[in-house]
Amino acid sequence: MRRVLALLLAACAAGPANAQAAGESVRFISCPIYRDVDAGRKSGCWLADERESGRRFDIGNAPTKPDWNHEVLVEGKVSSAADACGGVVLEPVRVSVLPGTCTRQMLPAEGFKGRAFVLPERNVRPVAVARPAPQPPFTERSFFLLYDFDRDFLVYQLDDYLLDQAITYIRAVAPKRIVVTGFAATTPAKVSGRLIAEDLAIAKARAQSVTEALVRFGVDPKNIETKWQSEAKPADAPGADGLAEASRRRVEIRVVPK
Amino acid sequence: MVRHLIFLGLSVAVLAGAAAQRAPSDWWAPNDVRTFERQTDYSNETGVVRTLLTGAPMETVGHPFFTPLGPNGRACVTCHQPSNAMGLSAEAIQERWQITGGKDPLFAAIDGSNCPTLKQDDPKSHALLLERGLVRIERDWPVKDAAGRSVKPDFKLEVVRDPTGCNSGEWGPGGKRGKVSVYRRPRPVANLKYLVAIGFAFDPKDGMPLDIDPETGTPSNSNILADARAYSLQAQARDAMRTHLGMEKAADAATVQKIVDFELRLSTAQASDRRGGALDAAGAQGGPMTLETSQPGQLGSQGRAVWSEFEAWEKLPAGVTGEQREFRESVARGAKVFREKTFLITDSAGINSPIGFGNPVRNSCVFCHNMSQMGNDVAPGQVDLGTTTQPFADPAPHLPLFRVTCLGAPHPHYGKVIYTSDPGFALTTGKCADVGKITLQSMRGLAARAPYFSNGSAKTLMDVVNFYDRRYHIGYSEKEKQDLVNLMSVL
Repeated sequence: MRRVLALLLAACAAGPANAQAAGESVRFISCPIYRDVDAGRKSGCWLADERESGRRFDIGNAPTKPDWNHEVLVEGKVSSAADACGGVVLEPVRVSVLPGTCTRQMLPAEGFKGRAFVLPERNVRPVAVARPAPQPPFTERSFFLLYDFDRDFLVYQLDDYLLDQAITYIRAVAPKRIVVTGFAATTPAKVSGRLIAEDLAIAKARAQSVTEALVRFGVDPKNIETKWQSEAKPADAPGADGLAEASRRRVEIRVVPK
Repeated sequence: MVRHLIFLGLSVAVLAGAAAQRAPSDWWAPNDVRTFERQTDYSNETGVVRTLLTGAPMETVGHPFFTPLGPNGRACVTCHQPSNAMGLSAEAIQERWQITGGKDPLFAAIDGSNCPTLKQDDPKSHALLLERGLVRIERDWPVKDAAGRSVKPDFKLEVVRDPTGCNSGEWGPGGKRGKVSVYRRPRPVANLKYLVAIGFAFDPKDGMPLDIDPETGTPSNSNILADARAYSLQAQARDAMRTHLGMEKAADAATVQKIVDFELRLSTAQASDRRGGALDAAGAQGGPMTLETSQPGQLGSQGRAVWSEFEAWEKLPAGVTGEQREFRESVARGAKVFREKTFLITDSAGINSPIGFGNPVRNSCVFCHNMSQMGNDVAPGQVDLGTTTQPFADPAPHLPLFRVTCLGAPHPHYGKVIYTSDPGFALTTGKCADVGKITLQSMRGLAARAPYFSNGSAKTLMDVVNFYDRRYHIGYSEKEKQDLVNLMSVL
């Protein structure tokens, strides 16, 4: 009996076979699972199983949430945050909704509390709220917008905030030249047993939509140079939160004061 | 002036033979000699709707809003009646048919009948207007956007069913005229400062900054018309003059501006309820005065909570008793249910896609109806609830049915093929992903202008609640439903 107990304790100390270390990077494709936790608005849990390891992750901190009808590409880092949903928390994490279809799966709360919605730090203020004015001297600066896989849609409460910062600087600087460069992760990568890669066309679409966004904000299109390129390398883009793969999918807005 | 007419249950057949002689004082006909007073009150089934005119009273004679500017005898006021909260109820339409024997300009063949090709003296030819308050709206096919630019749609449009005849032959999308007909409720022309307010510079549903009105070079929040085909009130007025008034020549800018200036002076809301009494009593702030004096474009979640006008009724003083107390408490509960009862919102483009809220997302009515005082969307409010699109729409054999086939990427929730009685916003953008999206409705003065939803599919406010309950499996209790109905009846 004592031996059995010792074995059990040893097993607990070692943790499960698929244990994870905080900071470990994960990247996988799976079908999302919704856990119907009700801790108020926007409080439901999003989970996804990494099929290769059998681990279940909490991916609900991603700016883009899943669609339960579609596969997701999950990119994130293991966090030591407490489990409130029934999965290992990924933070930071990015979710891209893929075209592949999934069977809807919704779990009941099963005692999990979930997390009450908290307005993300990256949120755009109303137009009536004055932005802090950038102070001179105005130097050349780059702003980066980040994208979900194979999308040119500006991510809510991420890119809108970053774009707001860019246009605030642009309005203060009144630059002679702005270079908008779209990037696509065209180099194939094997994820969950399949090769995925973006097409150069998405880099072009990203660049053109950001140019259009700047024009809508009142920037003279004559001052904007629009470019795009493939084989994007990771970049030190603040909005990527250190996720190298996610940082490949970006647009750079380079503001050249003179 | 304050009067209530009961025409519920009036059938088209009865209408055909009934042409009463009395002219009601609450119908404002074009060229009537009237003064638009600072305050105008009209009774309806549950109470009194009040319209405030900011500034001095105005004589209507000669004013373009009240003057037939085209050949069909209609003026703007024809479909935007003060007694109907500056909209138009099916009840008022039926009354008008009865009084005029169908000769009122309201019933003009061009859009006051199911189709101009039909026999116009037969009430059946006007059944959509008479029974459901629907006006025929003709859109270009292939699509033209809000700026009038041709757009190559990324979907194919086929007519599955054409009960009115206006989507077939020369009148249909395959005809020489290049048009498609849909049928929609008139929207009220009041409280408009809220509909044109710019709360945020970014449209999260589009993933872009707000679209720019090429005419003015300024951003537009596209919240005016069901399909966002007008960037501005001026553009809406011109569109209405060309279509509903039948003007062949565009009105001059001064005339258009005069109409818009008048419209922006109007604030409308229910002001009293027959059970609850004055809606600004006992600390409540119902009625149009709050609308007139408040700043538009504020997000309820970050400022004044939506429908908190009735918060004081959560704790009424002891002196309020009986039916009045019961009703006021119900309204206050309804406001809380509206704000706080969450449910899973699923498969609704504009909410669950393309913005990354997730599908499903748990939220309440104020997720979309989020603007303080008004309950419209601070962001451009094009959302697909499913009121016009299968499988969510109620059966509507009286309406056309279109088969939309996406030529590129499938619709995010419906797939490649969609069946709809009104493609909505897609008729402005040409995008398959926008099929079925309809701009959020104004929520003020509802008691004065049934039926509801863009296609008039909800005859009563309870029908509205029941649609949502079915659509999103909310599971409202009967008490919660009645509380919501009571709330909406006092807005």
